[in-house]
Amino acid sequence: MGESRNRFGTAYALTVFTPILPGQTDEVRSIIEAVPRGEAGPFARLEQVHFTRLQIFDQLVYQGAPQKPDRLKSAYLVFTASFDGALDPFLDALCERIPAEADSWWSHCVGYPGTADRAAFKRYIQHNKVHTSLFGVAYPTASVADVRESLALRERVLDFAVAAQGLDAAALQERFRQTFAETR
Amino acid sequence: MAVRVETADVPNGSTNAAPVPGNSHGRHTALTLFSPIRKRWTPVLRVAMWFGKWTPVAQNHILQFNFIHFVRWAVVRKLPYNGPPQERDVLNYPYLFFESNFDGPWRQYIDAFAYCIPGDIRFVWGRGIAFPGPPPAEPLKRWIAENSMEGGTFYSAYPEASTRAVLSALAVRDGLRKLVANADGLDADAFKARYEQFLTEVQVHL
Repeated sequence: MGESRNRFGTAYALTVFTPILPGQTDEVRSIIEAVPRGEAGPFARLEQVHFTRLQIFDQLVYQGAPQKPDRLKSAYLVFTASFDGALDPFLDALCERIPAEADSWWSHCVGYPGTADRAAFKRYIQHNKVHTSLFGVAYPTASVADVRESLALRERVLDFAVAAQGLDAAALQERFRQTFAETR
Repeated sequence: MAVRVETADVPNGSTNAAPVPGNSHGRHTALTLFSPIRKRWTPVLRVAMWFGKWTPVAQNHILQFNFIHFVRWAVVRKLPYNGPPQERDVLNYPYLFFESNFDGPWRQYIDAFAYCIPGDIRFVWGRGIAFPGPPPAEPLKRWIAENSMEGGTFYSAYPEASTRAVLSALAVRDGLRKLVANADGLDADAFKARYEQFLTEVQVHL
């Protein structure tokens, strides 16, 4: 199935597990927990990203007998992102728009080459990528821009509908043209 | 990896539960589970997920709850090895990585799954080890609390928009575009009739 496993509509699901260098797990944890969210955060500079998450697993849950415990020798940094388009442009965007932040967490991982060597960075992500078995999206062909614009447009339509109540046909048509002239 | 904040004695859907750092942004929550699967069940799960991906009925079934934005499953047989100083990890079991981004607190989310589609839950996770097949939901919540991956950071590009709001906004946009495209050349009375038809069609989304 190749890359189609990671796609649904125009959305892509990226899941990356990278082993953290011995003794550096707490530092990585501090770094990722300090990443600002919202407009001030690095992910807001990636306009194709709907959702993203960074977290660590340093042990696997033991659920009791008859499970044979799996004890990890490394902690892993998990990066997941749901974004518009293909993986390659997304990785380019990571290297161009949030290189310092990306390096701040991945530089504590084994074998990380840095975003400065973009080709090596892409190979690293590909090597550590976990393929998605099943991916579901509620609005699979809507980009982040589509979602944001539509949410704002819905508010404008609502305001217009209230303001236009009681207008005669000619005034309604004129106000509509003025308000939604750019909508095609 | 265990949940650090919410406890099983918090009432369902309670807003008193403190937000879990790294798990929420605005009204959105991320739930991540990484749990072992019985080896013999893995091929069945892979086939089921293949059907889930390629058959529209299955896709609609997966997304039947209008509070899920994005959801993913990945069957993980081995962990990446990058050479020294990493020591290779060899797993005794395949693991199922699950991540869902949805509206509201996760206890409500689990309630919906436990009571509405218990068969699906048992099918996907029920072949895991020590899995408490729902219903009831409370043992499942405890199991999730023990298996959920916490901490880190979580980002949403539109943290205050519910799935329903997004779907409604897209429907309004599509309706408006149609109205604009059809409005050219209409006289005022004909336009008013089209506009009122548009409002009727989208009023459920406003």
